[in-house]
Amino acid sequence: MPTSLLDHYELVKGLLSTYGPDHLAAMRDRSFGEFQKFGVPTQKDEEFKYLSLRALEDGGFQPAYGATVDRLDVEKTTLGLIEAATVTFVNGQHAPELVTQHKLPKGVFVGSIQDAYANFPDILTQHLGNIATLKGRLGSTNDERFVHLNTAYLGEGAFIYVPKGVSVEVPIHVQYLTKADHGPLVSHPRTLIVLDDHSDAKVIESYLGLQGVYFTNAVTEVYLGEDAILEHTKYQDETAESVFISNLSVHQSDSSTYTSNVANFGGHLVRNDLNVWLDGERTETWLNAASVGLDHQVVDNHTRLDHAKPNCNSFQVYKAILGDHAVGVFNGKIFVYEDAQKTDAKQTNQAILLSPTATINTKPQLEIFADDVKCTHGATVGQLREDAMFYLQSRGIPKAESQALLVYAFAAEVLEKITIPSVRTALEKVLYDKLGASEKLPHAE
Amino acid sequence: MSVWSPPFTMLEIKNLHARIEDKQILRGIDLTVNAGEIHAIMGPNGSGKSTLASVLAGKKDYEVTEGSIELDGKDLLELEPDERAGEGIFLAFQYPVEIPGVNNTYFLRAALNAIRKYRGQPELSMSEFRKHMLAKAEMMELDSAMLSRAVNEGFSGGEKKRNEIFQMAVLEPKLCVLDETDSGLDIDALKIVSEGVNRMRSPERAVIVVTHYQRLLNYIVPDFVHVLMNGRIVKSGGRELALTLEEQGYGFLEGTPAGASA
Repeated sequence: MPTSLLDHYELVKGLLSTYGPDHLAAMRDRSFGEFQKFGVPTQKDEEFKYLSLRALEDGGFQPAYGATVDRLDVEKTTLGLIEAATVTFVNGQHAPELVTQHKLPKGVFVGSIQDAYANFPDILTQHLGNIATLKGRLGSTNDERFVHLNTAYLGEGAFIYVPKGVSVEVPIHVQYLTKADHGPLVSHPRTLIVLDDHSDAKVIESYLGLQGVYFTNAVTEVYLGEDAILEHTKYQDETAESVFISNLSVHQSDSSTYTSNVANFGGHLVRNDLNVWLDGERTETWLNAASVGLDHQVVDNHTRLDHAKPNCNSFQVYKAILGDHAVGVFNGKIFVYEDAQKTDAKQTNQAILLSPTATINTKPQLEIFADDVKCTHGATVGQLREDAMFYLQSRGIPKAESQALLVYAFAAEVLEKITIPSVRTALEKVLYDKLGASEKLPHAE
Repeated sequence: MSVWSPPFTMLEIKNLHARIEDKQILRGIDLTVNAGEIHAIMGPNGSGKSTLASVLAGKKDYEVTEGSIELDGKDLLELEPDERAGEGIFLAFQYPVEIPGVNNTYFLRAALNAIRKYRGQPELSMSEFRKHMLAKAEMMELDSAMLSRAVNEGFSGGEKKRNEIFQMAVLEPKLCVLDETDSGLDIDALKIVSEGVNRMRSPERAVIVVTHYQRLLNYIVPDFVHVLMNGRIVKSGGRELALTLEEQGYGFLEGTPAGASA
C-alpha cells in the first residue's frame, strides 16, 4: 500500500470540503474508498504490465503547494503564449492572473469548476464524475483507480461550456503548469468539457512542466451533445523526472464528431487512458497520437472505444518514436456491442525504434458482438519507407539526414491534424528540437 | 570570330547492364550525352527506359552487373544517390513520392543546402533561399500555397509533375533526367512543364527525356532520339525518328539487331 497518497487525504479533506457542494464532498469520500480498495497497481496487473509505478510509493510526493509563476515563465514553455481563451492552473491551483481575457460568444464559459458552480450547478452535477467511468461497459478492468484518486482530491479544476448552437471561433486553452521547486509534489488536475447540441469548439489541453519531480494525475471528461463537434488537442511536456497519468473519457451523442490529437513529448513515466463511449448513432471519432520516448522514458497509451450504437465510425492512428532505452506501449481496445451494426472501426499503431534497446509493446484487442461491422487493426514497427528515402536522397539530402527527416515526418504527420496554426507550429518545433538532439535533422531556422 | 571546339562530353554510359532481383533489364546500353544537348529515350513499355533513369539516379533496387556510367569523367556507380545529386544529377520521378509531415519549403531548402555543402559552397539563409525559390515558383506558375504544404501530399497527378520540374528549377542540376514526365498531364500542364524545362536549357546543361509518346517532344525538342527495346538502344537518330515512331509504332523496329543505329 502506498502510504503518502493515502495519508494526504485525511490531511487535505477539510480544505477540499470548502470547494463545491456537499454532494461533491460525498463523491470524494466514495472515490477515496474505491482507490483505497485497489491502491496503486503493480506490474502483475495486466493493464499495467509494462509500467512500474513503484516511484509513486517511494517518491514522497506531498500535496501540491503554491508556486510563483509569471507570464515570462509561460512564454518560455515549449508551447509559448498562444492566442486563446485560457484557463491556467499552477500546481493544480487556479491562476487567473496569468491569462488575458478573450471575448467569447454569449453563454460560453471558460474558467474554474469552482467559479462555475455559481452559474452551472446542474450541468456540473450531471456530468462531473459521470463520464469518467466504465460502469456498465463490456469487459472488466481495474484501470479506473486513478480516476478515483483524482476525484478524491478534486479541488479546483477547469470547466468549459459551449451552449446549444454556438460556434466558438477562438481556441480555448486549458493549461496546467507544474513547478515543484520545494520537493516532490502530486496534483490532480480535473477538466470537464461540455459541448451542447449543435455547437463546436477547439480546445487545447496542455500539461507543461516548469521544474522538479512531481506526479500529475489528470482526469478529463468530455461530453458532446447531438451534432456537436470538438477538436481536442492534448499536449504533454512534463519534466524528465515526472510521472504523468491521465485519463480522458469522452461521451458522444448522436451525430457528434470528436477529434483527439495527442502529443506526448515529455515526462518520465507516462500513462494515458483514452476512453470513448459512443452512445449515439452516426458519430465520428478520430484519435490521433504522436509520442516520443527517449532516455529511460516509458510511454504507455491505452485506448478504449465502446461502439454501443449503430452507424458509428472511428479512426485511430497512434504513432510512437522510441530511442535510447525507452519503452512504448500501445493497447487499443475496441468493443462493438450487439446493437452497433454498421460500425466502421479502424485502428493503426505504428512505431519507429531509433535504437536496439528501445522497445514497443503493442496489443490490439477487438471484441465484436455485432455481425455487420467493419473492424480493422494494424501494427507496424520500424522501417522507414524505402521510396521516400530514395526520393529525399535523390534530391541531395544525405542518408542520415534523410532518415532523421522521415522520423520527424512520421510524427509530424499526426500534428498536421491540428487545425490551430500556432499550436501546430509550436508542437512541430518541439518535435523538431527533441529529435534534433539525437538525430541529424537538416536546419530549419 | 568563333573557334570550333569539340563538344564537351557530360555523360558517358558504356555497356551498361542492370537487373532487378533475377530479372535482367538493361543489356548493354551505350550512350553519350554532351553538355547543351537534349536526348529523348523512347521505347515500348518494359523496354527498360525507367530502369535506365533510376539507375542513373542510384536507386538501390537495381544492381548494375556490367558497364560504367561517368559524369564529367567521374564514376557515378561508386556514389550514393545524394552524392550523385551533389554532382549535378536530377531525376524527375515518374511517380513522385508523397512525404506527409515534411513541408515543401523546408525540404527544398534542406536539399539545396545539402547540395551546396557537397560542392563546398556556403548554405543559403532562409531569406536568400526564399527569394530564389519564389522566382522559380513564378516561372513554373506554381501556386505559392503549394510551397507550405507537405511534399506532394494530396497533390493531383499534374501538380506532382509540375512540382518535380519546380524542384529541378530550384536545384539547378547539370543533368536533368525526366522519367515519363508527360504521363498523366493534360495539354495545358504539359505546356507549362515543357516551358519550364526549355527555360532551363543552357550550354552547360543536358537533358534526358524518357517518354513513351512523341507528344512531349513537340514541346521539348530533342537533338537526339534513341529507341530502347529489350534493354538495348536499337536505333538512334534525330528528332524525325520520334515522328516516324509516332506514325509507325515500335513494331517496325522489331528484330532490329542490337547496337544498330542510324
